[in-house]
Order: sequence, then C-alpha cells, then structure tokens
Amino acid sequence: MPDLKKLHEAVIEGNWKAAAAVTEAAIAEGVAPLTIVTGYLVPAMDEVGRRFECEEYFVPEMLLSARAMKASMEIVRPLLKATGAEPVGRVVIGTVKGDLHDIGKNLVASMLEGGGFEVIDLGADVAPERFIEAAATRNAGLVALSALLTVTMTSMKTTIDAFQAAGLRGKVKIMVGGAPVTQQYADAIGADGYSESAAAAVALARKLVAV
Amino acid sequence: MRLKLISCEVLFREMCDACAHSPHQVDPEFLPKGLHDLGGKPMAKKVQEAVDRTPEGVFEAILLGYGLCGNGLDGLTARHTRLVLPRAHDCIALLMGSRERYQRYFERNPGTFYRSTGWLERGKGLQQLTHDTRGFDESLEALIRKYGEDNGRYLYQEMTRYRSHYRKLTFIETGLEAGGKFIAEAAAEAQENGWSFERLPGDLAWLRRLVEGDWAEAEFVVALPGQRIMASYDNGVLRVQA
Repeated sequence: MPDLKKLHEAVIEGNWKAAAAVTEAAIAEGVAPLTIVTGYLVPAMDEVGRRFECEEYFVPEMLLSARAMKASMEIVRPLLKATGAEPVGRVVIGTVKGDLHDIGKNLVASMLEGGGFEVIDLGADVAPERFIEAAATRNAGLVALSALLTVTMTSMKTTIDAFQAAGLRGKVKIMVGGAPVTQQYADAIGADGYSESAAAAVALARKLVAV
Repeated sequence: MRLKLISCEVLFREMCDACAHSPHQVDPEFLPKGLHDLGGKPMAKKVQEAVDRTPEGVFEAILLGYGLCGNGLDGLTARHTRLVLPRAHDCIALLMGSRERYQRYFERNPGTFYRSTGWLERGKGLQQLTHDTRGFDESLEALIRKYGEDNGRYLYQEMTRYRSHYRKLTFIETGLEAGGKFIAEAAAEAQENGWSFERLPGDLAWLRRLVEGDWAEAEFVVALPGQRIMASYDNGVLRVQA
C-alpha cells in the first residue's frame, strides 16, 4: 500500500515527480481518485496556503507546490470524470480586461483545482463577453475576477454589469481579488465576495458554491 | 509659502526640477522606490509615518509626490498640517501630465511597460521587500542553485512569462534626460525583451502645479487636519473623508 502521506509531502515540498509516482502507485493499488484529491491534495494545498500567509513560503514555493499538485491531478482528473464524480464547483477565472498580470490569478486557479474545483482559466486581459460565454457554455456557477492595478479595477464593475445586462447575474456568484481590491470595492460593485489571499479565495469559493 | 514635499524617489529628477522652479520654498524628502511592492496597507503605514514625522507649525502644507499607488496612499490622514495629493492612479499619470491622458494611452496601448528616468536609475539593488515579490528578479542560475535544475528552470519560465505578455516599452521623456543614456538603456531593455519601443513626450506641468500651490479641485485632493484621503473608485480617483 503506497504511503499516501508521501503525496502530501511531495506537494508541500514541490516535488512533482514524487507526487506523480505516488499517485500512479496509489491508483494501481485501487485507491479512489476522490480520496487522493480530498484526502491528500486538498489538505496539502491548504497547508501551502497557510505557509504563504505566515511568510514561510513565497511565490516560487507556491508555484512548485502547485506544479506537484497538478502532476497528481493530471493522473486523477480523467479517472474522476470516468466515475462521474462531480467537482466541488465549476469556476471561470481570469484577469480582467486591460490587465496582463496573471501569476496571482494562476496561483488561485491552482489552489482552486487542488481544492476540488473544475477550473476554466481564461488567462489575462479578458473582456466581459468572454467571462459570460465561458460561464454559460461550461455551466459554471462561480466567476472569479482578478486585477492588479487600480487603473484596471473598473473592468471588474464592467464585467459584473455585463452579466446583469445579459440577464445572467442571478445564475453565477462573482468573487473578486487582487492586490488593490478591497472589501469596500467589492461591495460597491455588487460582487458576492472578496478574498485577500489565494488561500482565502479557496475558502470563499467553497462558501459561495455551497449556498 | 513654506511647503514640505514627501515624494517617491522614482520622481526624483522631475520633483527636484519642479521644486527649483517653484516660487515657494519646498523642503523635499524622498522615500524609497518599491514601497508599493509591500502592498497597499504596509505602504500606507510607511507614508503615514513620514507625514507624522513632519514638525507642526513649520509648513503650510505637506505635498505628496505620489498617486493612489496601489492603495499605498489610501487612508492617509492629515494631522496638524493639510495634505495635498494629485488625483492620479500612479506616477505614470503624473509624468504624462493628466489622468485623462494616462487613461486614454493605457486603454489604447495594452501590454505597455512604462519607464522614466527614475524607473531606470532608482532603487537598483533593492532588497526584495516582501514575500509577494521574492524570486521575481532572480536569474536562471540563481533559481537553479536554489531549487535544482528541473524546478529552477520551471520557475524561471513561469516567473518571466509576463514579459511575453507585454508588447511595448514606452519611455516617458520629460526633457530632463541628460545625454542619451536613459533612452539608450530603455531601448536596450525593449530589445532584450522583444518589445517595441516608444518615446512618449511627458508633461511636467501637473507636478509643477503641485509645488506651485495651484491645487484645482479637479486635479488635487486637499485633506485638512483630521481628514483622511481615500480611494474613491471613480474617475476622480480620490476623495476626502471628514
């Protein structure tokens, strides 16, 4: 029986080869794909987030942990689909129009995936119409908007207004984040939630899809 | 008037030029570049500390050589002396001479990396100030040394990919660029990254109005003692709270 604690360790340590190897062995031994995600990947990424909060981990460490988590998910994802297991939620994520910053958004996307979400990542400089199209066609209940500049933050409002104009505002929860974003701003533009960090984003996402 | 100026060092040359031409006596103080890397709240704390160090009864106003700067000026409180802050998102707007010009240029030129004299020569060898930015300026060799060949390469790739998202480097020229060294350096940086290069004439008039005491409501917020400067989330960028 593979020691799945080694998978947890591999993610924490950012060792993607070990993560993949333990995952393969576990699947071969009959461990359920869902167990791998909820029992090991999710807690490991939660721990990574915690370490970033306490400034033990920095962006490079988070990127490496995400890489290890993704290596495991590569193996697990098709198996999960085959079992018909539903993800915790479906989230469309992107950096808003005019803004090219994406590392923070990428980290959140990785952590959401590690948290059991199906993530549709639209990249950066995403126009409101693309968010709407993706949410509608992929049946996503959650939209996550990122911006890193106060200059581009207004695109968050435009995006939310576009969902409203398209008659789809009631079908999705919209959460916002990024360095200059505040709870105050989120409230002012009618977002459903704001999170201050990648780890907090996962917790918020879970809360929003549970409603 | 006797005025105190607290400014980011990125605007060093431009501010010194403005102060030298002002009819008022301006005492400048420059804070390190990179405060905005700390994030809004920590930067705001540092700027407030600088404001609070200003002695009472000496100056008629404290001028701030900043914009909102990623919320680094959000919440700044005037103590005994009024505060004056330009209604700018950041220093790029200041160098361009108006927030409308910046907005227009920004929207028409997505993927632009901005440079000026201060952005090129100030803050070199800056210690990484925060865990949000640690690792971003490291070389491939340094990353490999720290994380091994495989992970090191991966990190370098991930952390420099933003460069391919940018298409252009725009150097904002204000006429203060002695010799051609700034233009040459900016052009070289553009070429190194595979970006196109544009020289954009800047406009120092807004900065001059700051130190000349010409504080029109449309261009500046003025916070009287006890009032706070806040982000307004609208076209005016900033507002004052009693």
